[in-house]
Amino acid sequence: MSYRLGIDIGGTFTDALLLDETSGTMRIAKVSSTPADPSIGFLEAARRILAEAGVAPAELRLVVHGTTVATNTIIEGKGAPTAFLTTEGFRDMLEIARQTRPALYDLRFTKPAPLVPRHLCYGIPERLDHRGALITPLNAEAVRAVGTELRSAGVAAIAVCFLHSYINPEHERQARDLLREVFPEAQIALSSEVAPEFREYLRASTTVINATVQPIAANYLRSIEVRLRALGVHAELLVMQSSGGVFSFASGCERPVFLIESGPAAGVTAAAYLGTVIGRQNLIAFDMGGTTAKVSLVLEGMPRVTKDFEVGAMAMPGSGRARGSGYPIRTPVIDLVEIGAGGGSIAWVDDGGVVRVGPRSAGADPGPACYGRGGTEPTVTDANLLLGRLSPDRFLGGEIILDVDAARTAIQERCATPLGIDPITAAHAIVEIANSAMIAALRLVTVQRGFDPRDMDLVAFGGAGPLHAGRLATEIGCRSLVIPFSPGTTSALGLLATDLRHDYATTMLCRLATADPMAVAGAFARMEAEGLATLAGEGVHGEATRAIRQLDLRYVGQSHELTLTLGEEEKLLDGATGARLAERFHREHERIYGTSAPHEAVELVSLRLSMVGQITRPQLRTIPSGPTDPAAALRTHRPVFFAEHGGYGDCPIYDRYRLQSGMTIAGPAIVEELDSTSVIHPHQRATIDRYGMLHVQVVGLASPA
Amino acid sequence: MVEASQPAAYDPIRFEVIRNALLEIAEEMAITLRRSAYSTNIKTRADFSCAIFDADLRVIAQAFAQPNHLGSLTELVPRALTFYGAERLGPGDAILTNHPYLGGVHLNDITLISPVHLEGQLVGYVASLAHHVDVGGGAPASIGAFREVYQEGVIIPPVRLVKGGAFVDDVLRLVLAQVRAQQETPGDLRAQVAANTVGARRLNELLLRLGVDHVRHYIDLIIDYTDRRTRSALAQLPRGSFSAEGTLDNDGYGGPPVKLAARLLIDETGVLFDLTGSDPQRRAPVNSTYAQTFAACAYLLKCLISPDIPTNAGFYRHVRVLAPEGSVVNCVAPAPVVAGWETHMRLTDILLHALAPAMPEQIPAGTKGMICHAGFGGPRPNGSYYCFLETLAGGYGGRAGLDGPDAVQTHGQNTENAPVEETEANYPVRITHYALVDDSEGPGCWRGGLGLRRDYYFPDHAVTFTILADRDRNGPWGLFGGLPGRPAAYIRNPNGASHLLSSKSTVELSAGETISYRTCGGGGYGHPYDRDPQLVLADVRSGKVSNERARTIYGVSIDTQRWTIDLPATEQLRERLRSAPAVDPT
Repeated sequence: MSYRLGIDIGGTFTDALLLDETSGTMRIAKVSSTPADPSIGFLEAARRILAEAGVAPAELRLVVHGTTVATNTIIEGKGAPTAFLTTEGFRDMLEIARQTRPALYDLRFTKPAPLVPRHLCYGIPERLDHRGALITPLNAEAVRAVGTELRSAGVAAIAVCFLHSYINPEHERQARDLLREVFPEAQIALSSEVAPEFREYLRASTTVINATVQPIAANYLRSIEVRLRALGVHAELLVMQSSGGVFSFASGCERPVFLIESGPAAGVTAAAYLGTVIGRQNLIAFDMGGTTAKVSLVLEGMPRVTKDFEVGAMAMPGSGRARGSGYPIRTPVIDLVEIGAGGGSIAWVDDGGVVRVGPRSAGADPGPACYGRGGTEPTVTDANLLLGRLSPDRFLGGEIILDVDAARTAIQERCATPLGIDPITAAHAIVEIANSAMIAALRLVTVQRGFDPRDMDLVAFGGAGPLHAGRLATEIGCRSLVIPFSPGTTSALGLLATDLRHDYATTMLCRLATADPMAVAGAFARMEAEGLATLAGEGVHGEATRAIRQLDLRYVGQSHELTLTLGEEEKLLDGATGARLAERFHREHERIYGTSAPHEAVELVSLRLSMVGQITRPQLRTIPSGPTDPAAALRTHRPVFFAEHGGYGDCPIYDRYRLQSGMTIAGPAIVEELDSTSVIHPHQRATIDRYGMLHVQVVGLASPA
Repeated sequence: MVEASQPAAYDPIRFEVIRNALLEIAEEMAITLRRSAYSTNIKTRADFSCAIFDADLRVIAQAFAQPNHLGSLTELVPRALTFYGAERLGPGDAILTNHPYLGGVHLNDITLISPVHLEGQLVGYVASLAHHVDVGGGAPASIGAFREVYQEGVIIPPVRLVKGGAFVDDVLRLVLAQVRAQQETPGDLRAQVAANTVGARRLNELLLRLGVDHVRHYIDLIIDYTDRRTRSALAQLPRGSFSAEGTLDNDGYGGPPVKLAARLLIDETGVLFDLTGSDPQRRAPVNSTYAQTFAACAYLLKCLISPDIPTNAGFYRHVRVLAPEGSVVNCVAPAPVVAGWETHMRLTDILLHALAPAMPEQIPAGTKGMICHAGFGGPRPNGSYYCFLETLAGGYGGRAGLDGPDAVQTHGQNTENAPVEETEANYPVRITHYALVDDSEGPGCWRGGLGLRRDYYFPDHAVTFTILADRDRNGPWGLFGGLPGRPAAYIRNPNGASHLLSSKSTVELSAGETISYRTCGGGGYGHPYDRDPQLVLADVRSGKVSNERARTIYGVSIDTQRWTIDLPATEQLRERLRSAPAVDPT
């Protein structure tokens, strides 16, 4: 027998997911997280699930870890003591950052403190121009002197970022050699290796984060490895990256800046995997839990990534993060929009007399009013309960009996009375207002990024996702809504269903038309060789490897690039290929911005290469097939509120575990399972596939709320 | 609480859906403009704004990264449409204008206004405003000290630039012939057209889906809601009459300092900004149009109310400004206006100063309080013409319990810096220094932020360079015993035969010359001798404050070998300072 184990460490719980590679059965265990030393919770979760399943450690073939260690190190200010070396005249690069304020109207704003204190920032005499040509040679004595000083200052890591090193790394390499002469124990991170792209502050910030996190992340991953081996685990040990790919613990120790969004990346990876199972390439992943809802995209089977991310950035009211409130990194990160709208989000009436939902959350304690643990403020969960969409006695498999009266009282007192409306109308308003914020987030990642939701399927998961997704799907007009089996565990599944991935980038500023094909091929070949070597170290070779090559292009004079993925035949960037790519670029620009300039020159900015090593995908469990009529799965009826019906109507409630492949449920209907509840609205129809997934489609004109 | 007059047809859900949808449209316009723009000033530094108006010309949603655009479009769009004749515009048309005396600001800010039609009926407008890197005039980047607005660049009254979705080539060519930035300007105008097209399309979809009358009804409700919330927030402010005066250091032509007088009258009707007593307008660039002055007052109000109150006509009706016509805060033709933003920035600082005694916990000491432009251009060594513009940060003022942040943009301005590597790759300049200016902070119990230094070196060609800034004579003021920040300095050739330049000057540089900016620090808050000695120690350790200054101004004696504080010596020093406080040596 062989198994895969996924371990996802969250703020409250550490989840373990054990997958039987042959049968596709999954088992989940939860233990409390141990923030002081997360590896304790990791080991505890692993031990528990192996014991519960009766699986021997040696039967594990693959262990994949989603971790917040890198993010937490930055947010909690626990990075290793780090120094920063840059070109003379620019030592305040980290202090000045982008010279902006993170909040426009706050007279008491603050800037995030630099990760390296100013007395450990040094300007070194040296200078290259923007072509990489020498202006001032590196002053070796100055580097040695700084190295000697840093050694006695108790610094653990040194980040080096010289101007224009993205095009000529020579000075940075010399500096590393010199530093090693006088301070061999120091961890040294070069910007030309960590993030060789132009725009010095972004490159420096990425390099500093890698440097300061590295000793901590390496320690952490190594301690887990040692303890797992002691337990008898021989499995390959992998860790989830911010991009949604995984790589070895060894790579994680080297390049921890790639782990920053390791935790949240699993959900979209799961959606991508489910997409391959059902044959869908373009998906919107919608993950709604207790405190937030997260939206991200899968395009052509790959999670969409962004290069515009800040570690520890503050959430803004509405959606998004305040630019300049965190520390930017330029490594690929899942493009994820997170909003403060979850089941526990609190509804309130503002001083203008309007119902608002979130961003405050009742959390797990006291939780929503209906939990009966002392919460008096109404939440989205309370509203769903009052509308009949949640069952009072089957929530979380009956672990908590929900108190409908408490929900009604909270909604009455905090929302209905102040507005002079009845509690049912108020409850419906709460749900729909939460929906409207989520619709805005969905439109932000689709329409506003130039993607048409009509060409995409919405995959809804997380405990609360399937409760709301039906309305959202209708509103944004996506092709269909897919609700996987056991939505509460979907995210963890992502850990076990992704590929090894290594991302590289090289800046090469030149006109696309005059780019030197040899130089481009050489740069791609170098990145590919490095990726292949790393994959080989992780045990993946030949057929199982694949390179994805991309170009960042823009019009000469612009500074936001569009990224085009190259076909296999476009590898060689000769004149004909260049012309074809320029054509594609014009079309893409037209598609996204509604305008293009075909007579203007296109500029090549960066080459990107992702080296992917395929891991065998897990098999999903299948269910038996049955008749079209879902009567066999009908559990009961209860009154449920739908706006289309102008109030409550008798609604069938189905048991998800008794659904069979091929059954079709006409809305309105509710489907209940242990960890989630799915709402099928009037004018919608759900069919069940062989994996137990619900495919929901709009079958008539649904009137908006 | 909802008022009794609330119409029956109020659905809280529909309200939120429409409110979100309108904001989303404005945001989408902004994203389109930024991503497809060409000039650094728009694409990297986000110097633009977008707005949606209803058919009655009420602003209903806005998107901007720069608060100094508050009110720019709300003043300009109704006047431009009235001037042009809204009835002359058909579907797919757009008018262009930058006219300072038809509701505009300075000439670089060019606005494109497009009507939105649904089934032949006019249902609203979308508008985008962007700061263009050059609009012609007397110096590259169209900044500089001139006597009349006619010298500042091309003045565009409302004219039809787009007809039925296509550029009107005659107009486009006429405008482009006046500007130096031949590469950026067409691309930036295209980006504005793209933004308006997207905005019009989305607004159209929304109205089609929900019905024009229905949406109009909810727009009324959204504006009422904003009005209600603004009113109740303003009612929380301390009542009374609060005044302050200040000056711009110089007008660019050697005239006396430019006086700005501000009185805020806060009573049960809200806030009235009375600027009577400000200097008459000058034949110098420091004149602010009414729209620029209005934006400063609107910014101040926004800072005093909850940030989540929407910005629409329901907010703007509370911005009540008395600005005498013909003054530097409401100039008339033909006064030049290019440095009107400098006046706007100083005015914001002075308005805050006026409120400081009434709201000591909220108000910062004096800040950078200027835009601080650097503009240059000319033929490259290879002959093609180029043009560059950016603005530099400075120190923020100390606040109760908080130091002023170092090197940030302040008030209505929040533009990013241009990365050195990107600048050098695109323009024939070398940035040789970009650093904080040590000891430039205004000392205080809570110190002001440091100013910054940026040096522009031109290795291989002659160039025309313009400084358009201020604060080189008087640094930002301190509050409650805090000392002023160090004034700015604008230096030609700091390493050779250096000399100081005026804060508003255009110079012809030869190859090999350098211009060095040292922006001002922010003012201090509270007495420096009350500053926590540990914070002084940290500042000395970081090199931001010299040990000498720690002794003489903060009264803290530091052992720089062991990084400890000599407490008895500190007590002695402070005792002396309390009886005879230090004066900032700068």
